[in-house]
Amino acid sequence: MRLLALVAITGPGLVAAAAGNDAGGIAAYASAGAQFGYHTLFLMVFITGCLALVQEMCARLGSYTGEGLGSLFREQFSLRVTAIVLVAFLVANLGAMASEFAGVGVSFELVGVHRFVSVPLAAGIIWVLVVFGSYQRAERVFRTAALIFLVYPIAAILAHPNVGEVLHQTLLPSFVPSQAFLLLSVGLVGATISPYVQFYVASAVADKGVRPLDYPRQRVDAILGAVFANVINMFIIIAAAAAITTRAPLQSAQDAGQALRPVAGPFAAELFVIGLLGASALAAAVVPLSTAYVVSEAIGAERSVGKSFREAPLFRWLFTVQIVIGAVVALLPGNLIDLLIRTQILNGVIAPILLTCILVLTNRRSLLGEAANGPLLRALGGGLIGIIALLAVAAMGISAARWLGVTG
Amino acid sequence: MSTPRRGSRGIRPHRSHHLDLTHGLRERLVSVAGLVRRPVRNPGGEGVGYVSDAVARWDTGEPHPPLAGLVVRVGSRQAFVPVNLVAQVRPDGVSLSTARLTLQEFTPHEGEVCLVRDILDRQLLDVDGVRVVRAADLYLATVTDRIRLVGVEVGLRTLLRRLGPARWRAKARPDAVIDWASVHSFGSVALTETSGRGAIRLDRHRNELNRLLPADLAALLEDLGRQERRELLDVVEPAAAADALESMHPDKRRQLLTETGPPRAADLVALMEPDEAARALRGLPRQQRDQLLAAMFADKAEALRSVMAFGPDTAGGVMNTELVIASVADTVEHVRILLRIKRHVADLDAVVVVDEQGHLVDDVSLEELLLAEHTTPLEELIGPPWPVSVTPDTPVRRVADRMLDARRLSAVVVDDQLRPIGRILADDVLQALLPGLGLSRLPRPRWPT
Repeated sequence: MRLLALVAITGPGLVAAAAGNDAGGIAAYASAGAQFGYHTLFLMVFITGCLALVQEMCARLGSYTGEGLGSLFREQFSLRVTAIVLVAFLVANLGAMASEFAGVGVSFELVGVHRFVSVPLAAGIIWVLVVFGSYQRAERVFRTAALIFLVYPIAAILAHPNVGEVLHQTLLPSFVPSQAFLLLSVGLVGATISPYVQFYVASAVADKGVRPLDYPRQRVDAILGAVFANVINMFIIIAAAAAITTRAPLQSAQDAGQALRPVAGPFAAELFVIGLLGASALAAAVVPLSTAYVVSEAIGAERSVGKSFREAPLFRWLFTVQIVIGAVVALLPGNLIDLLIRTQILNGVIAPILLTCILVLTNRRSLLGEAANGPLLRALGGGLIGIIALLAVAAMGISAARWLGVTG
Repeated sequence: MSTPRRGSRGIRPHRSHHLDLTHGLRERLVSVAGLVRRPVRNPGGEGVGYVSDAVARWDTGEPHPPLAGLVVRVGSRQAFVPVNLVAQVRPDGVSLSTARLTLQEFTPHEGEVCLVRDILDRQLLDVDGVRVVRAADLYLATVTDRIRLVGVEVGLRTLLRRLGPARWRAKARPDAVIDWASVHSFGSVALTETSGRGAIRLDRHRNELNRLLPADLAALLEDLGRQERRELLDVVEPAAAADALESMHPDKRRQLLTETGPPRAADLVALMEPDEAARALRGLPRQQRDQLLAAMFADKAEALRSVMAFGPDTAGGVMNTELVIASVADTVEHVRILLRIKRHVADLDAVVVVDEQGHLVDDVSLEELLLAEHTTPLEELIGPPWPVSVTPDTPVRRVADRMLDARRLSAVVVDDQLRPIGRILADDVLQALLPGLGLSRLPRPRWPT
């Protein structure tokens, strides 16, 4: 009975969390497990804390102000700060778009379809689905496919991971002193605290009309959602660490799918690819849509958003351009799994900028009144975001050094 | 499932709302965004500080609010300089007519609004153009001997120019300007609540806002932020708001009802047509639905419950329970009086006629009533064409077939005793059969949270 109740409470949250994962995230977690075994688990616990903190703040902003972050930035910050934040947000989301199309490309490469065929085709199909209005039906299909990632906990258990080692790495801090580990850490931050998801949480709570009065329940939802999502993510790492023993970066979907072998046997890669495709397609529509909403909101083109696609030129362009750029980047020469990880690092580098703005907003008594952050949350938020920022700066330093040909 | 929206949004050409600027006025405009951080000089030409805000008087009832003064940053203080001490306001700075300034820390007075803090970059209603805008800039000009707020800029180019260096903003370059006279602004919460001044200010556009088409008002309510939406709801008549709610996108309607809270949301739902109210209530979580029903008058709640008891795809689920029922013995005169006192009469195309036992006899069209003498008893108007009558569990698709066969615009819903309990109009059938209609709008991104 108690178990049933637990399933009833956690079930929808878990499902939502699994479907909320996108291609870049899955690649980053699988890669972390394959490359560094269980060494990233403690970091994931830290990131879970950050995600819960940030998601709660976004939900609080949505509930108390009834507005999305786009219009809050415009009203609360100077126009220049708003512009900088929006550009950062756009860049992160373009990265996300590239990763979704890379996800599509990786998936089809498994069955021998070249990405020059699959990526443009997928971009075209998603564009048509959203613009011509049958998107909602397709969304259900994608969402169902993405649920495949719910099998990761089972796969992780069936792979007989070293439980002692898992617990040890989860509870005690451990780091691998290498550049690759640091870059991947930033990638994990970016994959977990994706900027667009934070923006999405704020407007979703505002759109539901959650009043301050009803906020306490929403707060529990936001925090539990963050924890559930990351429990699944940690199972992806564990499954990959237990099943893939190369301890080298992943190269293809064939490699990444091996983590599902305990569940799917010889069809592991196929199962993985179906889930990846669903997650990619889902996010490839959601990311440009929410970006277009945030930008329209910030520049005051709300009216055009309420109209149909044909009557909203700005919205249509914002949406189309993102899909095109995302698809083009995914077609550039280079390994797609590599691209997936890199976009997550980009997300991780940009995240501190957006998180700082969210912290500043939630600190403001003039905006949230009694619900503004107290001294403890201010300090905690500042500290955690500071650590993320340090990681980001280090990652930027390493990337710049590599780019300039300095090897460390 | 999403229900389609009604109304004429996007079809009706909006009136031109851009201010026609004569060359003279265009040259005299001063940009408020451009004025910020410009030097303030005393008569001797020495700089005393920098402009940080412009304060306008909101309570004079004039279409173009006069400037009350400027907030000037002197050192670390925010000082207020009343407009009578200002000699000239130019795009590149302000000169004062006095060398003396009282350096009191600025606090806005009753009836004053800080243009930069409260209006710039915020949502506004363009009442003429019927749309929500965000102020990219505000323009001041000297009109009838006073410096006044004359227009609001909504152009994207102005916004981009504000991102650049200060000199790009020095000169006002009107792009898409709305006359302030047709702009409805929203106050910050604190101001409205403490002084109640919001209500006075809003009065100026009350009539226009109440005359908006329901679909247009719905669009405005959808586009505004929560605080602004609440203020707009305070201005319009509850009946107009209820009509607009019927036209709103189901998601946005749910949002509005949720954030408005039970007593007020219940009032609004009770004012909606019963079939629309049932549709709105069906879109809410059970707990919230029960709260709203509990907050209504018992008979109203009972009527809505009975409609909701039927499935959304059946005759009972889409029927309007507000009927005009007359007996065979009544005269046309009597029916006319009945019609006059009933609400939602505009949605009726006929009057239900029943016998002594309350059984349906005929459905007399308004046209027949109009052409008849007022002393005529209804008995004489009974005859073919006979009404389409259906039971509440009839599927909507079947109702549509029956209406098409009979070429009628409405059908009467009867219970198992043949007593009339509701009416279904052609638009209700359309709405129930075309759920895809609402999808012509942009899909909202949905992400599981």
